[in-house]
Amino acid sequence: MKNKTYIRRKELIVFVCAGLLLIGLVGRLAYLMIFEAEYYQEKAESLHERERQIKAARGEIVDANGVVLATNKTVCTISVIHSQLTDAEKVIRILTEELGIDEATVRKKVEKISSRELIKSNVDKEIGDRIREYELDGVKVDEDYKRYYPYDNLASKVLGFTGSDNQGIIGLEVKYEEYLKGQNGTILTTTDARGIELEGIAEERVEPIAGKTLQLSMDYNIQKYAQQAAEKVMEEKQADQVAILIMNPQNGEIYAMVNVPEFHLNEPFSLETLQLSTLPENDEEKQELLNKMWRNTCINDTYEPGSIFKVFTSAAALEAGVLHVEDDFYCPGYRIVEDRRIRCHKTTGHGAETFPQGIQNSCNPVFIDVGLRLGADAFYKYFKQFGLTKKTGVDLPGEAGTITHKLENVGLVELATMSFGQSFQITPIQVATMVSTAINGGIRVTPHLGVRILDEEGKQVKEFSYETDQVLSTETSETMRQLLESVVSEGGGKNAIIEGYEIGGKTATSQTLPRSAHKYISSFVGFAPADNPQVLGLCIIYNPQGVYYGGTIAAPVIRTIFENILPYLGIEKTGN
Amino acid sequence: MAKPRKKQAFDYSLAVVVFILILVGLYILYSTSSYNGRVKFDDEFYYLKKQAFATALGIGCMYVMANIDYHIWQKFAVWAYVLSLLLSLAVLFIGDEYNGSKRWLSFGPLSFQPSEFAKLAVILFLASLIVKNGKKMKKMGMLLLIMISILPIVGLVGAGNLSTAIIILGIGVVLVFVASPLYAQFIWLAVSAIGFMAIFLAMESYRLERLAIWRNPELYEKGYQTLQGLYAIGSGGLFGRGSGESIQKLGFVPEAQNDMIFAIVCEEWGLFGAAILIFLFLFLIWRFFVIAVNAKDLLGSLIASGAMAHMMIQVILNIAVVTNTIPNTGITLPFVSYGGTSVLFLLTEIGLVLNVSHLIQ
Repeated sequence: MKNKTYIRRKELIVFVCAGLLLIGLVGRLAYLMIFEAEYYQEKAESLHERERQIKAARGEIVDANGVVLATNKTVCTISVIHSQLTDAEKVIRILTEELGIDEATVRKKVEKISSRELIKSNVDKEIGDRIREYELDGVKVDEDYKRYYPYDNLASKVLGFTGSDNQGIIGLEVKYEEYLKGQNGTILTTTDARGIELEGIAEERVEPIAGKTLQLSMDYNIQKYAQQAAEKVMEEKQADQVAILIMNPQNGEIYAMVNVPEFHLNEPFSLETLQLSTLPENDEEKQELLNKMWRNTCINDTYEPGSIFKVFTSAAALEAGVLHVEDDFYCPGYRIVEDRRIRCHKTTGHGAETFPQGIQNSCNPVFIDVGLRLGADAFYKYFKQFGLTKKTGVDLPGEAGTITHKLENVGLVELATMSFGQSFQITPIQVATMVSTAINGGIRVTPHLGVRILDEEGKQVKEFSYETDQVLSTETSETMRQLLESVVSEGGGKNAIIEGYEIGGKTATSQTLPRSAHKYISSFVGFAPADNPQVLGLCIIYNPQGVYYGGTIAAPVIRTIFENILPYLGIEKTGN
Repeated sequence: MAKPRKKQAFDYSLAVVVFILILVGLYILYSTSSYNGRVKFDDEFYYLKKQAFATALGIGCMYVMANIDYHIWQKFAVWAYVLSLLLSLAVLFIGDEYNGSKRWLSFGPLSFQPSEFAKLAVILFLASLIVKNGKKMKKMGMLLLIMISILPIVGLVGAGNLSTAIIILGIGVVLVFVASPLYAQFIWLAVSAIGFMAIFLAMESYRLERLAIWRNPELYEKGYQTLQGLYAIGSGGLFGRGSGESIQKLGFVPEAQNDMIFAIVCEEWGLFGAAILIFLFLFLIWRFFVIAVNAKDLLGSLIASGAMAHMMIQVILNIAVVTNTIPNTGITLPFVSYGGTSVLFLLTEIGLVLNVSHLIQ
């Protein structure tokens, strides 16, 4: 008995419906997979693709002669991909041997079921290369760059260092970031939903562009020698710190900038240099200590320049015509200004003296007279003209500004004290620049370290130019050179005499605030040859113990440095 | 050509297409689930092993069923229906929860989804019920009575698994439609069903939310699965990424081996591969139709129709969901999606249909 016809017809209806619906769905699929395909593919790809950065090699920093001061070291990161391991025992054995880690630790990491297990980072490239040569399945050797400073603590506060992201943190590394950093490349890889990269799928690569090389005016030999000299005097005088600046007064190029104690650039976050008796309690405290350790005193800190500033007072008064070299002065050992009795360092007085004798003796009453002759308005005019109210524009971050009285608050007492370098504060770099102007023919130069940018082949890509400004007549400058030469040959700077060279200079001994603490800053600025200065050196000793006169302790430091670097710089002896 | 017919052997083309679907299904399941298996169980064969075990069991059941005269089941149909009611009731109280749904009963290491058994039970139950009341099928009242008879199971299953309840209801409607000479009444039935659906949807706001997600899956967090499915489908293009090359299965489509597996088929095999799979299912449905039309008696015809209804509803709804043609509801793709109980009872059901074909005149 066959089923009724209507049943069969109805079954046909159901089947036809099913067929039509399924064909409709195929149509829907075709729409999605042909017309909408691009839209969804794009969406899917952006979901699957991860951008991985390829670090660009950071540019090197080289000295004036091409000695590399900051470079990159290739280091390797060794990791294991568990799912790709074929011979775990061999991997454990080789990694234990090569990396010098104990077997249990390696075993634990290798046998751990994870997508990617880090075994060791910062592995030397040679070891990484050796491990790669074994061609072990599942072992990944990735290369990375690490900033490396071959001379470790040389010019640490000047060069600066970089952070883990290869970005400059302090010093030149920050200032020249844009040239040094280069451009990171990228690898576009496809990953699964957990972000794990898939093997065997073509990756898109954008190659990184290495950073450019920065060439400095700094000279490795001069810097090294100056640092040794600074360390020696710091040790001898039990000083808190010693700063030395060696520069070319004609164009502002800095040959050496020393701030001892220097710190270790390859371990910038280690407080070891400070030799602390107690470790900092918290991160904040540690950071404070680090910031202090990284400070570049030459440019970040101000101090009362003391008698070296008499160079400015002299130059300004000569330029203004209120002072002549042949002017006579009298020092009774003090000068009364308004209601104040301001003493000379020689309390018994220098007696009658000419101006050159006054500067040779570094006699305060003489400079009080000179300053008062100038008057506050003219004093400030030249102060500004010399660029002392602005920053020097040195190519290092964090230069401190000058701290001084406002002109309207400058009475006679303030003017008198400023005339011999007290009651205001400027940075060591500012002092060196001011003296440079006084002796180089009257040109305000911009002190600097960066000279040019080189590409990978060492070809010059860019040369930096720095502002210069004639702020003093050449005649006044000429007079200043002679006066300062006499300070060394006949006055307080005689400890800087070097046979065969004409040296100019000025000493200073300033008492730090509060005066009651009896702490001193001893300094000396010297230049040579005196008639055509090619090199200028400033040495500042902070809080020396025992004898603290700048002429006694700072001048010999510059002398020893000059003794060595003058022949090195090709400056000939003048015969006598 | 007609040979002096004796008993026809089995419908071999049905058996062949089923075996093709089983093999293709297992392959796709392995390809899709190996990543999840590796991530979750550290065994890329985890899902395949379980599915293969259920499939082997199912093939055994199919063989047995194909060799047992289907008329025997008429006697057990009511009991099977009652058993499915009891099991569905049990699952509400002592069921295991997985992915937020309470659908499984555990027997030691094995777990079992009573709703899958219910589909088979309903087919047998309705077929025998209709056969008993064959004469009264032109009466509207009778039709309604038959429909009402399956409402308890629809309700019980629907409590935890709305999608399966809809399938069961759909099977019921198709069987009643086939068995009745009426047409117009079914149009009314369809209209009232739509009205009922509307009220049902409006009753619970989360169902309306589903509609909103369906319209704009990109705007909703819950549209994630749908959207990931669409990414997979769109990524396939005409010829696909190639077998095993799907990226969306790598954790992007959540639980890719379940409801959304067809999207991975599209991604790997492209439009052509997906269309071929759909036509394999259409061929299977056509064989069910041929067997239903040629069945020796009403019971056999209805069993084959029920199986046809079951297969078509599930395939159509699954693909419609995956392609975001209808709002998302969890329906698995027969033979391909992961699910042991499903494949076990599907094969049992096919065994039953094979036996119907065996007795074709």
